[in-house]
Amino acid sequence: MAKISIKAILRKEDTLRLWLDNWCTHNKTEVCISDPSGKVVYGNPDLLHDSLSIPLITGDAIVARVWSKSNVLNQVWDVLNMLITKESEKRKLGAEVLHLYQELNIIYGFAESLGEAISTQAIAEITLAHSTNSIPADAGIITLWEEKEKTLAVPAVTGEQLFDLDLLAKNTSFLFQIVLNGQSGIITDIEAIKKLGLVAPNVTNLIYASLKGKDQIMGAIVLAGTRSEPFTAAHLKLLVTLALQSSSAIESALLFEKNLTEIRMREEAMQRINEVIKKFVPNEFISSLGKKNITDVRLGDQVEKIVTVLFTDIRDFTTLSERMSPEENFRFVSSFNEILGPIIREHKGFINQYLGDSIMAIFPNRPQDAVLASIGMQRAVRTLNRQRKEQGLPLINAGIGMHTGPLIMGITGDEHRLDAATISDTVNTASRIESLTKYYQSPLLMSEDTVKRIPNNSNLAFRRLGKVLLKGKNNALSVVECMNGLQESISTKRKENLEDFDKAMELYQQRKFENAIALFNKVLDSDPEDHTVKVFLKNAEKYLNQGAPKNWNGAEEMLYK
Amino acid sequence: MSLKILIVDDEAHIRMLIEQSLEELEDEGVEFYTAENGEMALEVIKEETPDLIFLDVMMPKLNGMEVCRRVKQEMGLSQIYIVLLTAKGQESDRQKGLDVGADIYMTKPFDPELLLEKARDVLQLP
Repeated sequence: MAKISIKAILRKEDTLRLWLDNWCTHNKTEVCISDPSGKVVYGNPDLLHDSLSIPLITGDAIVARVWSKSNVLNQVWDVLNMLITKESEKRKLGAEVLHLYQELNIIYGFAESLGEAISTQAIAEITLAHSTNSIPADAGIITLWEEKEKTLAVPAVTGEQLFDLDLLAKNTSFLFQIVLNGQSGIITDIEAIKKLGLVAPNVTNLIYASLKGKDQIMGAIVLAGTRSEPFTAAHLKLLVTLALQSSSAIESALLFEKNLTEIRMREEAMQRINEVIKKFVPNEFISSLGKKNITDVRLGDQVEKIVTVLFTDIRDFTTLSERMSPEENFRFVSSFNEILGPIIREHKGFINQYLGDSIMAIFPNRPQDAVLASIGMQRAVRTLNRQRKEQGLPLINAGIGMHTGPLIMGITGDEHRLDAATISDTVNTASRIESLTKYYQSPLLMSEDTVKRIPNNSNLAFRRLGKVLLKGKNNALSVVECMNGLQESISTKRKENLEDFDKAMELYQQRKFENAIALFNKVLDSDPEDHTVKVFLKNAEKYLNQGAPKNWNGAEEMLYK
Repeated sequence: MSLKILIVDDEAHIRMLIEQSLEELEDEGVEFYTAENGEMALEVIKEETPDLIFLDVMMPKLNGMEVCRRVKQEMGLSQIYIVLLTAKGQESDRQKGLDVGADIYMTKPFDPELLLEKARDVLQLP
């Protein structure tokens, strides 16, 4: 605290001079006041030589001397002493207020910096920096209890190397003691701690405050000093205040970090679930419904679209499977599906359902996508068969059928069990066409509804196989065969024979069976492998001999499914 | 002539705090004057012509901005160094203060050491 100056008192107390003047006049005497250096600040300097003086003292310092020859001296001294005491008290109070204000300033600044920190690491560092700035410590650490690892971590260290962190980590009992007691204090008797080597030999005392959360002790802040004067109660009070603020910041940070981890874990889990679900319900199905995610899907969501529905089926699978164990069977079907799946996706289709040895796929964009995918699948089956032939396994025959028409994709079921479902006659028809591949002995069939939506310049070659009347249907369906997927030599021959075949079909439908038979035979002579022709030839011969059925209009009536 | 500092704030404890922060300058012959509103401040300025003024912005009877404007622009006392003091969060006043001629701007709560440092700097005391 600065010394009290008599000159300042004379200046501040502006009526003092006037009172002194009046008092001296009234008592017909003189008074002189000198400052500690002997300089006269009031009155006649001559008095310094031959009069009495009394010193004015605060604490142990002389503030001034009052000189006079009369007993007025005592009265003036009383007044001045009162003023000096008042000033001294005011200063003392002022110093205390300033000290509090400085602390407030430290806490304010600390709160401000804490506000910018999010991680416990940053908070710990800021806490240490502010603590060592406001408390005369030479080093400091912050230790926090790690719930997950069940260890005491030291997220922040500052100052000189007064703590042995390696030893602290190994010998956690010291930190534990401090953390677990949950109190704050000053340790001056630190010989035991020094002996353990936890702190440097020149450390004279430690000061610590615990970091407490709402209902648990989170850790502690420990500062070390090397000076001879120990930490004071005022230091401890300040450290506790800083620790209190730091605690709530750390607590929110921990909560924030915990929430963040949980959110991240939940997101990862969601992503994994979505990836699995995607394999069960195609993304295309969900996006067709105008939804981004399976979780957005609700019972009753639906959309109607013109699509091409495709069915594949392994011919004579029953015979094939009889020779295999259930496990071999499963593996066989799986490996088959693994070959066809990618081809379907490659052509912008998606697999709606696996039904044992058959696949139902949907092509929501262009019908030729489905045809091109089928051609690819036929090629893949041929490749597979070449391998099977080498291994001495029976060859696989697959039939593919498709139909284009409106389809409702939707979510059915009840509130407890939902399923992605396609409800449409288009699906039934596509399935029926697929089964016709057996009847017509043709690997790839489709309806005219599919073909008419394919542009003429598509480079696809079709062969019309007349009409069929499916069981339970009133309208006959035109069936078309695609020749592109066949082996090159076979498809070339079929294309050459197309004109004769078409003509034969025309005659056949006109009930001119004799002429039809002749032409069918011509086609068969040139292409003995054309099993489809054999079917028509057989029918024509039957109708020629037994007569065509009543009301026969050229459409084959399919009585089975 | 001795160096003079004028402290203007309507709150007594802030005046005391500033005076206390600068206390050691008194030993070096610096004289302190205080005023608790703008009008009183102008009177002291006219009589004493201080070298440095710590001036609170929000005060009854003539706020700090106005005092600053008058001192710097009307009274022709631009040599007086004026430190404007205002509450934290009123930083928008900063430009306004500098526009009316304040030399520097400090926010409350101020750092007492910084205040002393500034005063020494302005008064060219070692």
